[in-house]
Amino acid sequence: MSKPIGIVLGIVCAVLLAVTLMSADKVFRSGPELPRTVVQKQAEYHLVLITQELETPFWDKVAAGAKAEADRSGSSIETWGSYEKDQEEFLKKLEIAIDSKVDGIIVQGLDTDDFKELTKIKAAFYGIPILTVANDVPMADSLRRTYVGSDQFRAGQMIAEQLLADMGTAGTVILMGDSREEYYQQQRVKGIMDVLKKVPGVRTEYAETIESRDQIIAATQDVMNRLPDVDAFIAVNANIADAMVQEIGRRSQVAPYHIYSFDDSPDTMSLLREGKLDGIIEQSPEEMGRLGVKLIIEWLRGETVPLDTDGYLTDIRMRKAADAP
Amino acid sequence: MTSIQRKIWTLAAAVMFVMAAIWIALTYYNQRTQNQYNTILQRYLHMNEVTNASQMTVTALNNYRLSQTQENLRQVDEGKERLRAARREVMDLRNAENDFALTSYMNLVDSLIETTDRSIMFLSEKETEESTNAFSEATRISKYISEMTLTLLDTELKTYDRFYRGIIEQSTELKKFGIWMLLSITFLLLLFTYWFSLSITRPVHKLTQAAKELSRGRFDLKVEVTSNDEISFLAKMFERMRVNINNLIQEIQQKAQLENELQQNKLLLRESQLRSLQSQINPHFLFNTLDTLSKKAYLEGSEETSDLLASVAGLLRYNLKRLDRSVTLYDEVKVLRQYMEIQRARFSDRLRFEADIDESCLYVQLPGLTLQPIVENAVIHAVEPLEDGGTIRFAIADDGDRVRVEISDNGPGMAESKIKEILDAEERDRAGATEGHSTGIGFSNVVRRLRIFYGREDVIGIESSAGAGTRVTLMIPKGRSEGKDDQAADRG
Repeated sequence: MSKPIGIVLGIVCAVLLAVTLMSADKVFRSGPELPRTVVQKQAEYHLVLITQELETPFWDKVAAGAKAEADRSGSSIETWGSYEKDQEEFLKKLEIAIDSKVDGIIVQGLDTDDFKELTKIKAAFYGIPILTVANDVPMADSLRRTYVGSDQFRAGQMIAEQLLADMGTAGTVILMGDSREEYYQQQRVKGIMDVLKKVPGVRTEYAETIESRDQIIAATQDVMNRLPDVDAFIAVNANIADAMVQEIGRRSQVAPYHIYSFDDSPDTMSLLREGKLDGIIEQSPEEMGRLGVKLIIEWLRGETVPLDTDGYLTDIRMRKAADAP
Repeated sequence: MTSIQRKIWTLAAAVMFVMAAIWIALTYYNQRTQNQYNTILQRYLHMNEVTNASQMTVTALNNYRLSQTQENLRQVDEGKERLRAARREVMDLRNAENDFALTSYMNLVDSLIETTDRSIMFLSEKETEESTNAFSEATRISKYISEMTLTLLDTELKTYDRFYRGIIEQSTELKKFGIWMLLSITFLLLLFTYWFSLSITRPVHKLTQAAKELSRGRFDLKVEVTSNDEISFLAKMFERMRVNINNLIQEIQQKAQLENELQQNKLLLRESQLRSLQSQINPHFLFNTLDTLSKKAYLEGSEETSDLLASVAGLLRYNLKRLDRSVTLYDEVKVLRQYMEIQRARFSDRLRFEADIDESCLYVQLPGLTLQPIVENAVIHAVEPLEDGGTIRFAIADDGDRVRVEISDNGPGMAESKIKEILDAEERDRAGATEGHSTGIGFSNVVRRLRIFYGREDVIGIESSAGAGTRVTLMIPKGRSEGKDDQAADRG
């Protein structure tokens, strides 16, 4: 053995030692920590927002508004619900929420017996306050504490007024609605009728359809066959608008018709931008979520008792295609 | 002094230490990973337990509804108890991600228990329809619990996703680490062993080398071993031995030299004696004859011849008597004068002799017949060959602790090689013969005897240059070193 061998050996050792230490550091540095099970400050109230239309722009905004308000006031909120108006799933979620004994439920109103049964009997049995949001169900049927959302009757009036302004005082108007006849839809129709009835030159026709694409198309065809001289359409249920407009477009130009709807469907806003809708009623979903959470917390804290059973109305605006960006 | 044994122990201890360190580290790591796995598994098991307990409770409730026995009721109670226990366990699983879901989950469990109670209560009150309703509700809740369990597990997977990946990454890292560790330990051990073996073998090697040199007879190389174990001790002893041997050898050499010198001295004396014996075939006859001749010359009125003959006789007598013992400078000078008498008779005006003698210095001792051969040499070379003769200057002067005796002539001078021949012993041996000396004692013989007598080399010096004559200078110590000369004298 000679000196060079010793030196080379030494260098190799040093390099290996360094690499080993680096490797050891990687191995023994405590890897990803287990998420702490620290019970941080418990949220004051556990709230649930339940909707039938998860992940639509409208309800995302509601949820965002609610979340912001809940975070601000130190409560927690979760958004549950069903997709595509799956009522069965929706009701199940509602029942789970009640069984889970959350502190408050903010729910999209559903005007069915099952819904009323759950809210009136089960929720009341557990003493869980229920707020309806966006779509109302009458107090008498649901024992809801209050309603937060648009004044649907007024929304109907506004749309009718706009129609008259655009179309004039003579013409045929077709109202297309969901055959489930939910409360909020009835209110809208009432509002529209309220205005149009007073104008003798306007003839209104109300068409009902199940909320499925084929049925809507069929209904649209049917009504257009029966009333070829139609001047205007109002999709009372925003979810109908897309299929309806498409069918109208297939038969003739969309432009000559006055078509109106509401904003609580993912399609209507894009239809408006394309100019296929002449106007929609724009509501304030964030405000609904925010106000809903705020009110229910106030009620839970006993600050505002009782809540105004007539409801807290949020802002609505008429948005015309001309204004569209 | 660290012994070799200690070195071996150190190596072994180092290896042991490394092993132990690795073992501890790996054990620690294993333990940690195990704990993590346990925690994760327990989370899943706890959640699953809730589902199982809820299903069991509902089954027990159904059985109880079908046949209301005490046994079945006990089963229901047992199910409820299990449910409560599971609920407590689940409570600990709370984290930021599943906070809400977990709260709902636990409340669902509560609802299930309450509904079960309600169903049993209605049953005991014989309100079958209510009881059935409650039971179906309980079934639904149990179903919800199962679903919620799945949701929670799903959340769990999402929450722990990074963690699981981390574990997988770490295990691959561990594999790499193992390989690196193996490599570095191997090389470290190699290095350590290399260093260790070197620390043992290098001194041994050096020692071997030194022993080899010694065996070849080189005693002047120092044995140097820089280590701190037994080998260095050995080396030190070895070095001491070398020094001792070296000293002994030197001593022997010195003694041999001394012996040699003595021998030479003796030989020289013998030679001188032999030469003088050769020239004194019958000294008494010669003296008597010379004396008779001297008287006869005197009676015949040739006083000068008479004196000359007396000088020759005196010189001869001195020559025979005084060769082997020291004499004073005074005697030497006296003999020198007699000799000069004789030579003056021979060369008359051609020989000019000038003497400048400091009488106070005449007491110093010197070997007999020292000056005469030198002066004779001068006469032979500086006076005899020249038609006009030459001058010989003789001076004795005090020069500190020595007496300076100068004999100079104004002859043709001596060649450098000749001077060297006279002063240098080896050259002298080759030259051998002495040319025409009356006493048979040559210049070189004088030089050697002087050197041996005083034990030093610088007693005589010769200066000469061509045409400027020759000057021989003797520097005779006033107090001469005793001993050597006495010995020599005794032997004579």
